[in-house]
This record gives sequence, C-alpha cells and structure tokens, in this order.
Amino acid sequence: MTPSKSACITPLQAVRDAVNQVDFNRFRFWFQAIGFVLFVYGGYLAIDLGSRLPFFSCGYNQEGRGGVCYLLPLQHQLGRSWPTLFSAASLAILTGFLVFAAWFIVLNKGWCGFICPLGTLQDWITALRRRLGIRYARYSQGQFAQLTRIKYILLALTILIPLGIGGGWFSRDMSPPFCLICPARMILPIFTGDFSQFTIDFSSKTAMFMTALGMAVTGLFLIGSFVKKRFFCFFCPMSALHYLISRPALLKLKKDGDKCTRCGDCYRVCDMEIKEIADDIKTTDIMTDDCTLCLKCVASCPEPGALKATFVGIPIFESTEAGFIKRMTREHAP
Amino acid sequence: MTTIPIHPAGKPAYNLSRQAREAEIVLDHITDDFDGNPAAMQYFYDLFRRVYIQGEALAHEGKLIGTTCIQAPDELIYAMGGTPVRLCNGSYHYDQIGADFMPAKSCSLVKATLGMLHADNPIPRIGKPDLIVNPTTCDQKKKASAMIEDMGYAVYDLEMPNVKDSEEARLYWQRSVRQFAQKLRQVTGRKLTKKNLKAAMARTSRAQAAFRTLHNFRKASPALMLGKDVFLVTNAFFFDDIERWIAAVEKLNAELAQRQADGYQAAQRRAPRILFTGSPPVFPNLKLPLLIEEAGGVVVADETCSANRMLYDMTAVDEWLLHDMVDGLADKYLKPCTCPIFTRNDDRRRRLLELAASFGVDGVVYQAFAGCQVYEMEQKSVAAALNAKGIAMLYIETDYSPDDHGQLTTRIEAFLESIKTRKRKRA
Repeated sequence: MTPSKSACITPLQAVRDAVNQVDFNRFRFWFQAIGFVLFVYGGYLAIDLGSRLPFFSCGYNQEGRGGVCYLLPLQHQLGRSWPTLFSAASLAILTGFLVFAAWFIVLNKGWCGFICPLGTLQDWITALRRRLGIRYARYSQGQFAQLTRIKYILLALTILIPLGIGGGWFSRDMSPPFCLICPARMILPIFTGDFSQFTIDFSSKTAMFMTALGMAVTGLFLIGSFVKKRFFCFFCPMSALHYLISRPALLKLKKDGDKCTRCGDCYRVCDMEIKEIADDIKTTDIMTDDCTLCLKCVASCPEPGALKATFVGIPIFESTEAGFIKRMTREHAP
Repeated sequence: MTTIPIHPAGKPAYNLSRQAREAEIVLDHITDDFDGNPAAMQYFYDLFRRVYIQGEALAHEGKLIGTTCIQAPDELIYAMGGTPVRLCNGSYHYDQIGADFMPAKSCSLVKATLGMLHADNPIPRIGKPDLIVNPTTCDQKKKASAMIEDMGYAVYDLEMPNVKDSEEARLYWQRSVRQFAQKLRQVTGRKLTKKNLKAAMARTSRAQAAFRTLHNFRKASPALMLGKDVFLVTNAFFFDDIERWIAAVEKLNAELAQRQADGYQAAQRRAPRILFTGSPPVFPNLKLPLLIEEAGGVVVADETCSANRMLYDMTAVDEWLLHDMVDGLADKYLKPCTCPIFTRNDDRRRRLLELAASFGVDGVVYQAFAGCQVYEMEQKSVAAALNAKGIAMLYIETDYSPDDHGQLTTRIEAFLESIKTRKRKRA
C-alpha cells in the first residue's frame, strides 16, 4: 500500500488492515482449538452436526463427537448388498453426498487447515517437537511426486472395498475399511477417555489383520507427525475427495503471479511442502491437492496482494507488506 | 533551497588523493546543484564526505568480513559478532589501477574493487578484512577470487549455482550457506546460535522495513525526493553502522511523510519517471542517475544490486530453530534474486514490469558496464518485455570513465524528450 492511500482510510479498509495484520498463527491456533473442542467434546453439549462432515470428526468417538466424518456412513452405504445398492434406496447415497458437498463447499480444504481434529492434533504434535528443539523432516522432490499419489489410491480403496464387500467378494470384517486403518478411530476417542479402539480383534483372520494394521498405522501416525509436519494429511483420502470436488468451493486461495517475486517465503512455511505456491506464477487458483488451506502462505507473503484468500470472490485475508513486517517483528522479539 | 554541507570547522587540511577529488566532485554536485535536498540527507552527505573525501577510518565490531556481492548473507556475519562491509567500488581511479588485473574490456566494478584492494592506502579506509567472501556469481568475480588472494587477503568462495529454479540448485545453495556459516565460525571463533541469529535477522529486517518505507514513498507523484539521494542512502548501507543507518533512514522517512502531507514536489509534475536497471551505480559512479536527473527526469525506482535488490526481499521463517532459519536465509538470498548470472531472466523481467506498473514509470534506463556480458546479453529480452507493455527503454553501455559524459547527456536528453512528447500526446 502506498503511504498516500493511508491518509484517508475508510472503515472497511480499517477492518481489512486489521485482519491482514493479524497475529495469524495465534488466531489459527485458537480457531483450531475451538474446532477441536466442538467436534471432540461437542456431543456432551448435545451438539450434533450430522454425519456428512467433510473432516475427521470421528464417529467412533461415540459420546464426545459433535458430528460424524462422511467417510464412515459412505463406506457403510457402499457396502450394502448389491441388490439393495442398485435399488431406489440408494438415492440416500446421492443425497448424503450432496449434503457432504454442501458442507465442503463452504470452507473448501479450509476444513483441513482450520477444523479437522486430526489435523489440529498433528499441529500440536509439531508444536511439541518444536519446543523440544528438534528439526523437522522434509521429502525430496522425487519422494513428494510419488507419495502424493497415495491418497488417491486410498480413496479408490475406500470406495472399491465396500463395493466388493457388498458383492460378497470380501469379508464384512473388513468394513469399514478405511476407518479400520484410520488413526483418528483410535486416537480421537482417547480424548473422551475411551481406549476401547486400542484392541486387536481376534474373531477372524480378516478382523485381526485389519485391526493390527490400524494399530500399526496409528503408531506410524504418532511417529510420522512428530518428525514431519502434517504427516498424515499427505495420504488422506478425504483430502483427495475434497480436491476432486473443489472447483465450486466458496473459499479460495488466489495468487497474482505478476506481484510474486518467487522469493519462496510461502513455500518455506508450507506444512505440505507445496512448491507450486512459490514457483507457479500462471495459475490464479493456486490450491493444489495437498493443500490444507491453512493460509500460512498468505500470512508469510511480503508482497501486497500476491496471495489472498477469497470468499465468494471477496478478499477476506490478503498478503500485505505491513502485515508481514508486523508478524515478523512479533516473531523476532526475544 | 539548497542545503550546503557543513565542513567540519578547524579540521586540518587534508591531502586530496585522486580518488578523493573524484568523490568530492560528485558529492558537491549531488549536494549543490540540485534544489530541495531533504534535510535528513545531511547525515548521508556528511557520511560520504567523511569517509570518501576526508578518508576517515571506519570503525567495526569483531571480525571484519568483506563481501563482493549481495549474495553473502549479512545475517550470519552479524550473528557471529562480525561486521560485513561490501567491497564493490565505484571509483574511476581504482578502476584504472585494477585494469592491470583484467582484460581491457571488463567490468569497471570488478576492476575498481580489485584496484582498491590492491592500493596501499585505499579509501574508504575500511581496514584489512579478516575474510573476503566472494560468491561465485559472474565469471569476472569468480576469477577475481584468486587475484585477491594473491594480494594477501584471506578469500572464501561462497559457491553459488548458476541456475536457481531447480530444487537441486536450492539444496546445493542451502548446503553452501551452511558451509559458509562454518567458515565464519572458524574465522570469528564464535558459535552460531538460535539467539544470535534471530537477533541478527531482526536487525536486518528492521533495515529492510525502513528501506521498504522509503521505497514506497517513491511511488508518490510528483516525486518527494530525487533518486540520486536514494542511491546515496543505499550505498551507505555497504559500509555504515547498520543501527545508525536505520535511524538515519527512518528520519528521512519521517521527513518524506511530512513532505507528502505538505504536498511537496521534488520534481516537476511532468518530469519523466524513470526506472533504473542493470549494472549497479556505486558511489562515486552515480554518473547515469545524475545525468537523468540533471536533464529533468526523476529516478523513482531501481532494480539493481546496489539498492533495491540488496534490501527489498525479506526472509520468512516457520520454526525459529537454527536449521530452519539458516535455510530460510539461504532461500531468501537465492530464490528472488534477479541477477543476470542465472540461466533464465523471467523473474527479472517480471520484476521490472511490476515496478514499472506500481511506480507509474514512463521509461527505463538500462545501464550495462562495458564488459559485463550477462547484462549486455539480457538487454534485448528485457527491452522486448518492456516494449510489449508500451514502456520505452534506453540501453546504455558505459564504464567509470568520464569520457562519454557529453555523448550520454545528449542521449539521455533525447530519451527524456521523447517521453515528454509521448506524454503530451497522450494527455
């Protein structure tokens, strides 16, 4: 912003300036904390936002949940026997998806960066590591290119295995397949004192295999998110599903390549190591499939207007020089 | 009103070396021949007079680390208790001495730097650096390394990739910067810690914030100050105490804010607004910016490594742990750099277009020092990019010698005149 403009500030501009200069990390920390409480303990306050939520508000957290992750009912619905699946009753699958999509469209992947309890938990584990002064790990570009595909494979399996179960090809003990290996199923109930998911089910070979795999993935999750920021999000099938339907979303991450100096500040702070955020100067809709829309990149961009979050086309949080300097000065304080 | 610099009273007569005379002519020109010098510029006028003309020795804390390029991270040097000083020299006198080391047609800046390092009692009197850091950028600087070593200096080649887009280059440079930190540790005997690096980064980012404020004031039209003074300010950053420099720039910014409130005009309303790019003007070689402003233009922005490129880009850090801070610094020094030594110059062209748009620029003056092949080679593509947006560019190949003064005056006057005509037609 030129100094000449600051002389006559409208109230709207004053609000915008205040937002753009916000202590972003602190704001996000509290926003996430509230989201965590809402969806992990909301059930005790009789909050129930339905079972079509586009993030891991885990259904296995029976008492505390403030709503249920859509992947749980989706897998159950797809796992119906084929005659039922291909009957009119399955209109419910369609309406369910539409409700899920309606939720999703509001915040786009912002659900991941601001609300998802499992995402928040990873950020807390990261904060713990940082306090201990231990450095984080990064992938090489080659690893990144390979690993980024896994979430699509997991999404495909999350859909195909239930269909196979319904067709009688796989055992019912595999259902719901993704939930059985999802770390949220074991970890989130702990927060309400429920450790019952920490068991291996010996009732059948399949059950034993799936619950043991779930146990292993949970272990991997805890170790992984300690050394790597947002370790699990990289593999999350929900994230893949999000990306496939993200085009009409209301919250968007926009980039103005002309204003970008490609300094890489945004890439440096990106938990998901998305290089395009810094290097791509052509794409205006810059959210990629790995993005969690945490908006840290916007907060760490010193070029006015180069990055911005828009809601229905209206900028709500924009990179500014003054905001960058203010945030950095705060960080610099000993 | 012209502010005449105050010569310290009662100071013994000093013997003007050729270098000092050259500096004095330029400084007097800067101070005496233009109207409306900001009062806050007096600090810088006095500083250059003391350091470049009277030969006052520069004090420094800890080890003195000379740098031959902006790619050497100052923050690491400050963190380990050293003082960085940029050695790039702008004196024709030293250019002539340095000519012994380099082929006839080579960069004046490199020759002048070599000449100064070779001279017996060089001015500015920075003292003998404990280490000279020479980033491996252009061929001439690369080859200068061994020559400087032969003069009896300790030289460290900071290895720099000549491609900057690839991840390989980025990682290579990060390693290079970490090695440099280790070298500094040997030289200074101090350890790089989270605390001292954070403090050093806080300091440089305050300098950058002050610079950016100054930079933004130049968007004002009509101009609030002339570009020749801004080059003096950024040149002072080469050697001045950083805290004093920040204070002086903040004072200047306050004065510019006042000027803006008062509706002050440092140049005519119609004065062509010029963006300066290419080989860096280093005092006393402010030949081109001065010619532009004598002829009625005003330099409102620049894209050179003696000003904007040196101070503009700021570092972001996600986790304030040593490795993330050092890597973040490395990224900041490589990724946004628009130096022509890199394979591609897309970023430089985009940067120029962005500056031209946001500073209301009418024309671009592109300086290439004769023998600076990389700038010479980029000239065409830069001109094409600017012309495509309807921005005129004047390409000038020159050096430190005063011989082409007359010829350049004619060319610049003609260029500014053509801009004015075009503006009039548009109006």
